[in-house]
Amino acid sequence: MALASSERPGPGAERRPPATSPTAPASAAPQSRAKRSGAPGSFMAWLAQSWMLLAFFVFFFLFWEYAVKLFHIPQYILNPPSEIVANGWADIRRLVSYFCITGLEAVIGYVVAIVVAVPLGLAIAFSSILRRTIYPFFVSLEMTPKIAFAPLFISWLGFGLLPKIIIVFLVCFFPIVLNAILAFSSLSEELTRFCRSTGAGWFQVFLKVRLPAALPQCFVGFKYAALNATVGATIAEFIGSDQGLGFYIQITTGNMRPDLAFAGIFFLTFLGLLMFGAVTLAERFCIPWHISVRRKS
Amino acid sequence: MGIAVDIKSVTKVFGSGPAALQAFGPADLAIEAGEFVSLLGPSGCGKSTLMLMIAGLLDRSAGDIEVNGEHVSAPRTDIGIMFQDNTLVPWRDVQGNIALQLELRGIDPDSRAGRIRELLRSVQLEGFEHRFPHELSGGMQQRAAFCQAMVHDPQTVLLDEPLGKLDAMTRESIRTDLQALWLQRRPTVVFVTHSIEEAVQLSSRICVITPRPGRIDRVIDIDLPWPRDMAVKRSAAFTNYVRDIQEIFHGFGVI
Repeated sequence: MALASSERPGPGAERRPPATSPTAPASAAPQSRAKRSGAPGSFMAWLAQSWMLLAFFVFFFLFWEYAVKLFHIPQYILNPPSEIVANGWADIRRLVSYFCITGLEAVIGYVVAIVVAVPLGLAIAFSSILRRTIYPFFVSLEMTPKIAFAPLFISWLGFGLLPKIIIVFLVCFFPIVLNAILAFSSLSEELTRFCRSTGAGWFQVFLKVRLPAALPQCFVGFKYAALNATVGATIAEFIGSDQGLGFYIQITTGNMRPDLAFAGIFFLTFLGLLMFGAVTLAERFCIPWHISVRRKS
Repeated sequence: MGIAVDIKSVTKVFGSGPAALQAFGPADLAIEAGEFVSLLGPSGCGKSTLMLMIAGLLDRSAGDIEVNGEHVSAPRTDIGIMFQDNTLVPWRDVQGNIALQLELRGIDPDSRAGRIRELLRSVQLEGFEHRFPHELSGGMQQRAAFCQAMVHDPQTVLLDEPLGKLDAMTRESIRTDLQALWLQRRPTVVFVTHSIEEAVQLSSRICVITPRPGRIDRVIDIDLPWPRDMAVKRSAAFTNYVRDIQEIFHGFGVI
């Protein structure tokens, strides 16, 4: 008879007390959210956490600066960072316009790859015919370095933007499609059974369970592809182009101007950071609940 | 009361030809509406297989199953189901996970807000509605999963070792809540477990299942008063049931 009341106080070993009173559960959410995202004043917290990294960067560039002078390295081999910045600044208009061109190639190729690869991955995950035909074909193509096709596309399509976009697309497409296939075909057996027992239609299950469950694995592909995108654009420009950062680096290196080549490399790095950062931000926005996002924040 | 689940000469064979594996049966069992029946047996005896066949989530190889008078030929949607690995999704909080069951069935969760609150209260999760699964202990997750499995008030609830991964103390505490939930509305419950004590505490009847290939060795009526609190569990009758069943499994060579 007194079962409920006699055993209730016992299980404290398992049950944590609620952080807020049960009558005001709504106040718990904003608190924990404020902790997660950066409130004002979080810059100081970030500084406290990252000062060692900053110190390392400062040390790295100071070492570079003085090592070049100390060992009398000729300026057609390597320049100190101060000269790279000064000479790069003098050529900033060209650098910025080339940055935009390479960025355009990388972003368009990347976005098109996502738009094509995700639905295709979904189709392959759910079609037994596609899984037996296209899927093994894609897996075997994984062994081929996609960048090896770059000279062919340049020779087929010439010097314009299109061959570069296609090459970026190629290097981004495969990681996205393979991760999407994995993402859409790995719903747990329990959740699959649970959904079937509700009698819900395919689309309802897709929208409410399959799609959100697939997002984390999809983002693995998106992030990997974001790193590939700038590599693809740069190499495509190396092979044949008359503009863009890849072209710039090749030309300046040929002209014995490593300072300007380095300036181009810094801009490429910045482009890579920008793309990866954007994808990471999108990930935080789309799957804030996922462990890979929670651990970082 | 009528028969809720009627199992007639059901068999499950995996594979075919010489490699075929007799996983379960043949078995007959009639479960009355409102009963709490445990399928008790060692790992790999096919008790989960039987449960999935009742739910219509797994085809049987022979025999027939009727749930609420209807022949099972497709996944039953009039049941509540729960597994050892719960079906809480990480992107929804506790309340959202319970609502998922309703949304997938095309029911507006707001229209059942009162029922959701009541369920959360009976498993002591009040105040945790807006916590996400990763913010809960394993035991609390299973409590939330019970609510998810029962929010649409199914007449039949199938539970596949829902307490299997929890520590002993948590199991004890959740059993109490589970029993209270069952006593509240008296759905028909099929409970898969390999814990003898758990089966005796919770069940009105226990199906003892033999090691592979699983067959129903015998069905034992547990004639103890409800609710089965500490006093009942300390009673000689309770201990006798547990000991008798231990003897049976000892006879099988399982323990």
